[in-house]
Amino acid sequence: MNIIAAGIFDAFTKNNVHYLLGGLGITVGVSIISVIGSLIFGSFIGIIIYEKIPFLSRYVSIINDVIRNLPLLLIIFFVYFVLPVIGIYLPVFWATVIAMTVFESTMLAEIIRGGLLAIPIGQTEGAGSVGMTNQQALLNIILPQAIKKMIPPIISQLISLVKDTSLAVGIVLAEMTFRGQIIYAQNSNYTIPVFIALAIMYFILNYGLSLIARWFDHRMAA
Amino acid sequence: MVENNQDNMIQFVDVEKYYGHFHALKNINLTIKRGETVVLIGPSGSGKSTLIRAINGLEPIQEGHLIVNGYDLHDPKTDINKIRKRVGMVFQHFNLYNNKSVIENVMLAPRIVSHIPEEENEKYALELLDRVGLKDKAGSMPSMLSGGQKQRVAIARSLAMKPSALLFDEPTSALDPEMIGDVLRIIQNIAKDSDMTSLIVTHEMNFAQNVANRVIFMADGEVLEDSKTSDFFKKPKSVRAQQFVDQVQNH
Repeated sequence: MNIIAAGIFDAFTKNNVHYLLGGLGITVGVSIISVIGSLIFGSFIGIIIYEKIPFLSRYVSIINDVIRNLPLLLIIFFVYFVLPVIGIYLPVFWATVIAMTVFESTMLAEIIRGGLLAIPIGQTEGAGSVGMTNQQALLNIILPQAIKKMIPPIISQLISLVKDTSLAVGIVLAEMTFRGQIIYAQNSNYTIPVFIALAIMYFILNYGLSLIARWFDHRMAA
Repeated sequence: MVENNQDNMIQFVDVEKYYGHFHALKNINLTIKRGETVVLIGPSGSGKSTLIRAINGLEPIQEGHLIVNGYDLHDPKTDINKIRKRVGMVFQHFNLYNNKSVIENVMLAPRIVSHIPEEENEKYALELLDRVGLKDKAGSMPSMLSGGQKQRVAIARSLAMKPSALLFDEPTSALDPEMIGDVLRIIQNIAKDSDMTSLIVTHEMNFAQNVANRVIFMADGEVLEDSKTSDFFKKPKSVRAQQFVDQVQNH
């Protein structure tokens, strides 16, 4: 017990705390940009597949399925190690953001398509019967109803996105988990306190997301 | 080419419809004139709903011509929404927009499809809701209404587009018995009062006798009989229709 207590006291020197919080900043930065990017691209892809546009929907759906069924780490490696081979060099931060956005867009696209499909066909037929175009029906009738059903699975997916930013350790992005490793590598007494600190920070980030989701749910229900 | 007669609201010319290998509509030839009220009856699975849904472009046809308000639905160049603006549909399961209030259900299409000024739109919507006896429910959500009330709102929603024709696809089949009378009375008033064309799929034989100028009897995807209402109910020509009428009336 003494050893752990001493470790807690020692592990969090001013320098180490500063270093770890910098990692938190990078994790939050990657997460926010990837969340926004994948919500935008995921919605577009989901709607394109849902609308059954000739040719386009089919090809988009095939590409989406391929990416969705690859491991995220493989995609991160691809962007960071394979793209330079064909002349595209990306800094490690942006390589992570792009890999996460591409992967999470495909996951969100499926959630969004599923949410749209869950709305009974009668709603579309009702809107069509008074002369609304497909887009008008989608915007005014289908999407507002589908969004309510989509929010819980979207938030789970985004929580998973935040956690998966730690995979960028694989390409040495100096995010939170990576910096934790650096700190406890200095002294094995730091291992437990650093892990506790990492766990608390990930929990706060993701629990925050859940709270936002709950707030949305209440607002939608009202 | 098919002659385009202005007196005809709906015209089927050699129409064939398949679901995969299933032949759902067999060589349909049918003309409904402007202002007519026509009732479509027949056993379930006979193709009545398919036929009425085809008129609103909800079911594509594979062969022939289906001319509605002067546009051929089987012509890929036809803009289906142009037809739907003028031809409304009332569904068995109402299909009200669940995310919109009663009055918004009525006002939405005139606003975004026909661009009617807001004040005029609201005034007419309230007038229509009054006509179907639901003015006091204007602010309610569809989930708070009974089946009969939902169907009356759905009728008001269709009328808000000032259609030339209204299609009713078994409008009372999903209703509790005590709700049916109100809805049928409203449909009857609409059919009698206006010069609108109405095509009604129903199993209510008394209502059919009261409201229709003409009765069309379908079985197995074919039109077996197309007669004046009084002739049809006095003595149907086909054995199949005779059996059907006996069964429905004696139960």
